[in-house]
Amino acid sequence: MAQQDRIQQEIAVQNPLVSERLELAVLYKEYAEDDHIYQQKIKDLLQKYSYIRKTRPDGNCFYRAFGFAHLEALLEDGQELQRFKEVSARSKEELVAQGFTEFTIEDFHNTFMELIERVERRVPLPELLAAFNEPSTSDYLVVYLRLLTSGCLQRHRRFFEQFLEGGRSIKEFCQQEVEPMCKESDHIHIIALARALHVSILVEYMDRGEGGATNPHVFPEGSQPRVCLLYRPGHYDILYK
Amino acid sequence: MQCILIFFFILISYTFFFSAVKRLMKEAAELKDPTDHYHAQPLEDNLFEWHFTVRGPPDSDFDGGIYHGRIVLPPEYPMKPPSIILLTANGRFEVGKKICLSISGHHPETWQPSWSIRTALLAIIGFMPTKGEGAIGSLDYTPEERRALAKKSQDFCCEMCGTSMKTALLPLTSGSVSSQADKEAKELARQISFKAEVNASRKPDAGPSNISGLNHSAASREPQQDGAARAFQDPTSATSETQNSSAAASQEHTPPVTTNTSMSPRQRRAQQQSQRRAPSSTDFNRVQQQRVNMNHTGSTVLIVLLTFALAALIFRRICLANEYIFEL
Repeated sequence: MAQQDRIQQEIAVQNPLVSERLELAVLYKEYAEDDHIYQQKIKDLLQKYSYIRKTRPDGNCFYRAFGFAHLEALLEDGQELQRFKEVSARSKEELVAQGFTEFTIEDFHNTFMELIERVERRVPLPELLAAFNEPSTSDYLVVYLRLLTSGCLQRHRRFFEQFLEGGRSIKEFCQQEVEPMCKESDHIHIIALARALHVSILVEYMDRGEGGATNPHVFPEGSQPRVCLLYRPGHYDILYK
Repeated sequence: MQCILIFFFILISYTFFFSAVKRLMKEAAELKDPTDHYHAQPLEDNLFEWHFTVRGPPDSDFDGGIYHGRIVLPPEYPMKPPSIILLTANGRFEVGKKICLSISGHHPETWQPSWSIRTALLAIIGFMPTKGEGAIGSLDYTPEERRALAKKSQDFCCEMCGTSMKTALLPLTSGSVSSQADKEAKELARQISFKAEVNASRKPDAGPSNISGLNHSAASREPQQDGAARAFQDPTSATSETQNSSAAASQEHTPPVTTNTSMSPRQRRAQQQSQRRAPSSTDFNRVQQQRVNMNHTGSTVLIVLLTFALAALIFRRICLANEYIFEL
């Protein structure tokens, strides 16, 4: 356990929770030159995107990447911001109506709303980035996004239950794989969060598979994506055109 | 590297500290009044240590038992789980051993930040009738022994928080609210399990048997409360006394008693009796340590705040000076 803590701390020192925006070409250096599959896929990715923002690989990367990417985009989109703020403000009552305890979730909701209000006040981008790198703010946001995901999965229990393996109920799945911190996210989490906040998410899947190009998936299918993420096995980063 | 890690760790702890205080104040208000099933409040001088009282589930061997214990909260609460330490002998959890909440059969860190101290209390109640199965910190006493302990538990009075078990909880009512709490407790027990903290448990592990020996012998020499009061005022003398007497105690008791199943009823009774008293005086030491920690935290927070205040003042002065120049 102590060793695990140490490893986590070392990861933490080496990786900011959310990094500065970097040239996408930095990815070339992460793989060996003769790793043709990845080198080829990165080349392909560079035709569609120019920048990347990395997140800390701590199991919360999907939520943090989504949260930052969307709020950053909202700095430039007042109309969507208002809609998003309304949905977010309402979301707490929905969770409470579903049986979540109000006083245990309200601190997380407040942190989330404060971040949205900061975006509404048009804070400079470095300030938003600093907030996302401040552990308590950043982790509180992650907790709330996890709660929203869990709430949505439970609201649409019948639909989501068919994707679960091993005979787990949605409630069990949420308590084991969604609500605890550091639990990694899969398709089902992404579908639920996109649905809960009505924000379309595009994920470019990059792995050792054949094809020479990444596999884009839009959640929900056919929608116009607002947030673009890069998935490499076990990890999500933010992509920019 | 080590330095950066330590600095980083301290920084994280502080940023979470304030959120934890805010949350714990809310929970203290929420749990202010005892129910017929549970009650918990922070100690007067430490928001990060609480004492709780729970009623044994009525349809079990713990029926009629009223159990008391400590909850220790990490500075990162609610991001990290609380630890629970029972102070009343109960036959299910070892007395004086830190146990952690986690989800059954899963990674021990599957605590959920939206859970609360109330969740932890209900989980203990619901978890009591489950089998210990040899897990660290778990005991599998016979039903008769548990029933005897349940009966005895009502006489317990916590010397630290002054709670007497007879008045700690509201009398049991058969209303819908309490049966709902019962149901919740059972529901939670299905998801949550308790594990002894493997790292931290090593020391307390050796502690209770030795210290209980100490108290047993110390109690016969002098009135218990005097010793406790002295421990409270003077931690150094108390620790040295603990060391001396625990050395003496371990000489008396070789080999030291650790498992309860291999003891004769009388031995066990003696240990239970001393265990009932034992944790309170070890607690005084522990709390003393924690208070010192809190003082450190307090002074560092103060330094940080003062630095900020100073920076703000300097900044304002510069602004004012600039304005002044512009006006000219």
